[in-house]
Amino acid sequence: MGRAAEQVIALAQIATCPGQLQHNLERHLEMVAQARRAGAHLVVFPELSLSGYLLAHGVLEHALRLDDARLAPLLEASREIALLVGLPLRESQGGISNAAVLLEGGEVRGVHRKLYLPTYGMFDEGRYFIPGPRLEPLVCSIGRFGVLICEDAWHLSTAVILAQSGVDALLVVAGGPTELDGGEEPAGSRRWHWIVGATAVTTVRPVFFANRCGWEEGVLFGGCSWAVDARGHDLASPAPPMTETLVVAPFSRTAAARTRTLIPIPYAERFDLWRASLERAGA
Amino acid sequence: MLELPQVATGLLAETLEKFIAEELRASGLAGYVVGLSGGVDSAVSAALAAAAVGRERVLALALPGPTSAPESIRDAQEVAETFGLRLEKVDLGASAELLAGTLGARGDRVRFGNLLARLRMVALFDRARTVPALVLGTSNKSEILLGYSTLFGDAAASVQPLGDVWKTHIFELARALGVPQTLVTKAPTADLWPGQTDAGELGFDYPTVDPVLFWHHEGGMGREELVAAGFPSALVDGALGAYRRNRFKWRPTVVARVSASCMNVDRILPRNPER
Repeated sequence: MGRAAEQVIALAQIATCPGQLQHNLERHLEMVAQARRAGAHLVVFPELSLSGYLLAHGVLEHALRLDDARLAPLLEASREIALLVGLPLRESQGGISNAAVLLEGGEVRGVHRKLYLPTYGMFDEGRYFIPGPRLEPLVCSIGRFGVLICEDAWHLSTAVILAQSGVDALLVVAGGPTELDGGEEPAGSRRWHWIVGATAVTTVRPVFFANRCGWEEGVLFGGCSWAVDARGHDLASPAPPMTETLVVAPFSRTAAARTRTLIPIPYAERFDLWRASLERAGA
Repeated sequence: MLELPQVATGLLAETLEKFIAEELRASGLAGYVVGLSGGVDSAVSAALAAAAVGRERVLALALPGPTSAPESIRDAQEVAETFGLRLEKVDLGASAELLAGTLGARGDRVRFGNLLARLRMVALFDRARTVPALVLGTSNKSEILLGYSTLFGDAAASVQPLGDVWKTHIFELARALGVPQTLVTKAPTADLWPGQTDAGELGFDYPTVDPVLFWHHEGGMGREELVAAGFPSALVDGALGAYRRNRFKWRPTVVARVSASCMNVDRILPRNPER
């Protein structure tokens, strides 16, 4: 128990290049090596980390199946350290999902398919991807994780549902574009700071947030990857917005469980209100 | 009165430098070529590029025409000296006169101005080919929204680092980056004929019009709301008129879609494929 029981989770804040899979794969392997040197048990990559975000119709060309040979180096690496990587997943029944894939022990342990595909403003995901059908924890030897991909985390119900599923922590992976305003950090990074903090303290779970940085097609991504414990305190300081970096944070299931004993907010969820709301909505 | 929101100048400069560096990396080319007009936009673009990729990878061109103001060349030289850039002077006067004569455009200052702006584009892309380099654009958001530019002339570039930056904020960037003070304080001009200024042609200056454009373009306010908010109706009508009239310049070429695989409609693909 205590610190000896802790695991280490690394967040790989990288600047992926759209459609340049080999380049992106090499960045993954470099970050995996760095995470291993840091003693990490799991390394979390941002949304669509292998392919880049603004692929648009390029997903038709770059979508991968889970048995794609290009995943072999990552599967091999997963024998030493668990990985959560983002990729456009070619579904066997047709369609392409925006997926986060958990690899461990040379195998695929689980897949989360993005549920909410933003299709407004600068976003056009509904044009290229199909939405995920379900929200379930992904499990590996490190723990039981709720994985949310970017917009998923902006729908607060997802974190509540995952908390009710008994996850140990939430892994939020993002390709979050940002604009600049009068603030000293990118506006999008500031909004993510609020969401990550609020998600942690309301679900009483640690949240590990891996965002990408860099530019794609003239669009800026806001970095600031970050990890907080179940009280919203830093497990690691936020990364800078524009620099590729590896954030290394401790993760303790037992510490989070202790916090939930003291602050049992999730156990008090009023599902009768949910049910009534769903009935009113005719759902 | 509604104002243009502030921007964090240091973060903006750092961000744009990263963009300039990334676009060069992605292109695989050797550097940037930028036309120095003696104005504040090109000075800021050049300063950002020098900081982003190193001054030895930025080639500045001064491209005077037959009626360019002498101080424009002096100011371009001062910018090049300030940021340690190699400056080449390419006098387009004779070429512009010859082509204007051939085309019968000598008596029409707008045609002549457009012709000169497009000759500058030709010179920049031709020189860029020899490096090989990207052409660094110098257009700002205010002039793009108002359409105050020459299509395929000054509006043409490989990348536009300042294309989403209000002119008001470019003045702030210029001060922060150490652009010579004379450029920051002099009246913006395309310098296409003697005495020309942007404000003289548009009917308003940028610090005055930027808040109107912001609250319309980003804030979604219509004409009546802008006037009710206290902006003079003549200013609002002038700004919104140019904004509507010149919108075709935002996307200069329309392709007739006659298949199910039209570029940029049915097939939107990243600019830089895997090499």
